[in-house]
Formats: sequence, structure tokens, C-alpha cells
Amino acid sequence: MAYSNFTLADVKKVFQIEETVAAENLFSEIEPVIPSSVLTAVLERNMQVALAVNTEKAKSELIVANVLIELREKFERRISVFSGIEFNVDAENGLTGVCDFLVSLSPARFVLEAPVIILVEAKKDDLTVGLGQCVAEMHAAQHFNTENGNDIPCVYGATTSGTEWLFLKLEGQRLYIDTEFYSIHACDKILGILASMVEQKA
Amino acid sequence: MSYSSFTLDSVKTAFQLEIAIPTNLFCDIAPVAPSAHLTTELERNVPVALAIGTEKARSEMIVGDVLLELREHFDRQISLFSGIDFSVDAEKGLTGVCDFLVSLSPVPFVLEAPIIVLVEAKKDDVLEGIGQCAAEMLAAQQFNAERGNSISCIYGVSTTGADWRFLKLEGQKLHIDTEFYSIHACDKILGILASMVEQKA
Repeated sequence: MAYSNFTLADVKKVFQIEETVAAENLFSEIEPVIPSSVLTAVLERNMQVALAVNTEKAKSELIVANVLIELREKFERRISVFSGIEFNVDAENGLTGVCDFLVSLSPARFVLEAPVIILVEAKKDDLTVGLGQCVAEMHAAQHFNTENGNDIPCVYGATTSGTEWLFLKLEGQRLYIDTEFYSIHACDKILGILASMVEQKA
Repeated sequence: MSYSSFTLDSVKTAFQLEIAIPTNLFCDIAPVAPSAHLTTELERNVPVALAIGTEKARSEMIVGDVLLELREHFDRQISLFSGIDFSVDAEKGLTGVCDFLVSLSPVPFVLEAPIIVLVEAKKDDVLEGIGQCAAEMLAAQQFNAERGNSISCIYGVSTTGADWRFLKLEGQKLHIDTEFYSIHACDKILGILASMVEQKA
């Protein structure tokens, strides 16, 4: 058992997570953040290749990683981004495995330190496929933060194909899945939402 | 059996390769200055990638960017593939996923001959990737020949992102460069990659 085995139905049942279906866009009020000229140029350069190659690997490295590095720059490198690390929190409950991307509010770069704030799952095509896995990782992050004496009220998540992004929020046992999908063409909105997550205002 | 099962020794035996270890195979190649964007990207990405240390982080934060720059250098007239299945000859074990592939064809959606450079990313040890990379280079040779697009040399790279080691396959002869290049000498790495694309390396 590992994060990737969880469907959304499983994770809700096993961890007694209650989903609140939002009546409207969860993050619609959030201010956009203008991407730097570097990110704009990088995305212009990479997008065509990522979409043509169309593997999860290409989409992760050519799009998702660049957006998250930009987020780290926006916060003057005071947050940390991890990619492809093992995040083993509770083997008995299946909370083990590799996370695609993890953002921590700690600036420590070499080891993952609490609080973990955003978990990102990259998928080749279908964002909904990553939902169960992402929620399991968010739940594990809650555990990890608590065990490290660093409770924060909300942990956030995203499932993304690089081109499309879907955002989630877990507050205690209450799960919110946004009704809106954001396109990478609205990169400023995606950055705005990620930034507000880091600021714990989302 | 797939690319990743090959060691240098097993690929040498299976395909009767002759190994040459030339000193500084690519030392005379002129460097290519990186663009301002690549310089900025590497400045911000390299410390993050090396701190995380995973093959995934090294691939996405360093190797991918260098290869994208190569494509820009050639005005997008070459194509880059990442993480695609490259199964050429199951009987010989020439199957599996390649980390990165560069083709001289500008066609983006499907891999077309001639394949010119194969890149294997490794977490720690670039030597570990050499057998696998050589097997992929042999597969590329076969792939190109089957499509009537034989080229005299196929090139390879085994890299941790931080260190780059280059290979050259000419017929059955595999040249393994003695030199490692550091990402801090990114201009030299770009120069070597560019000369490979130009088939001058």
C-alpha cells in the first residue's frame, strides 16, 4: 500500500475525510501574481515540446517544476521545493511512497522539514486520476507536521497535467476540491493561488 | 531485459563492441555561450536540484533545461523527447524508456530518424549510466538504419546534472571520453552537444 494506491473513495473512507462540495470557485477571489520574464520565456520555450512529447516526465520537468521554482523565487528562496523524494509517514496506514512535488515553509533544502504546505501530483492526462493519491499525501503531511510540532490549519494540494491545474484544500478532516480548472495560459492565476497557499490565506 | 539491465561489460559482450578510451575526445570543441535565460535558470535551479538529489529533480531542474537550450540554439529545428518508450528490438533487449532523446528531425509529435543524442540521467554515479546509454545508442543505430537514415555516429551522455560524461558510437566502436564536464562549464557542455547535432564531434 502506498499513496498511489488510493482512489478518492478509498482515502475518504479510510481516513474519515469529509468532502465539502463548494458552491463556487474556491480560489476565484485570489489575486493573480505576474510571472517573471524568465518564467514567461521558459514556458514559451518549453510548452510546445512538453505537449508534443506528452509524457508525465516531460510535463513535470518542462512545466510543473518551473512554476514551483518560480514560487520559491517569489518568496525569496525562504520556502523549499522537493521533487521525487520518498515521503514515508505511516506505513501501517499506507501513507508511504514518492511524492512528485512537495513545498515546505521551511527554508531547509537538504532535508524535508515541517511544515509541509503543498503537495503536487503530476499526471499525464487526467487530473482526477491523481486526486486520491494527492489527498492521501495531504493527509500524511498533516501527520508529519503534527509529529514535528508544527501544526498548520490547512494543507493544500494540486493535481496537474502541466497544462491544467486543479487545487485542493484539507482543513482537519474536511476536504475541499475546487470546481475550477486553471490553464497554464493563466499562469498568473496559478501562481497567485500557490502564493496564497504559502501565505496560508487560501 | 531492457536498456537498464545492461552494464558496460554486458553490452560490450552482447554486441561485440570495441571500447576506445580516448583522452579528451571533445577538448577541441568550441564552447557555446548559454543564453541569459539559461544562466538565470541554472543559477536558481542547480542548488535546489543538488540539495534534493533525486534523479527526478536533477532531470527536471538541470538536464531538461540544457537540452531545451540546445533546441533553441538550433532554432527549434531539432526535436527533444523525454521519458518516451523507445522499444527497438525486444529479442536483443533493446527496449525500455529513455530519459532524453534528441532527433535531427524537427517533427515534434512522433520520434523520427535520425536519432543523434541519447541522454541518461543518474542520481549519483555517471559511470552507472554508461552501459544503459550504450545500449540505447545501439538501438538508435538500428532505428536509424531501419528507416533508411543511417548516420555515421551516434552520441551519448551520462549525467547527474552536475557532471556530464560523453560517449560516441561509430559502427561497433564505442568511444568513452576520459573527461567529465561540470555544469559550471555549461558553455563547454553546450558546445559539445551542438557539435554532436552538427555531426562534427
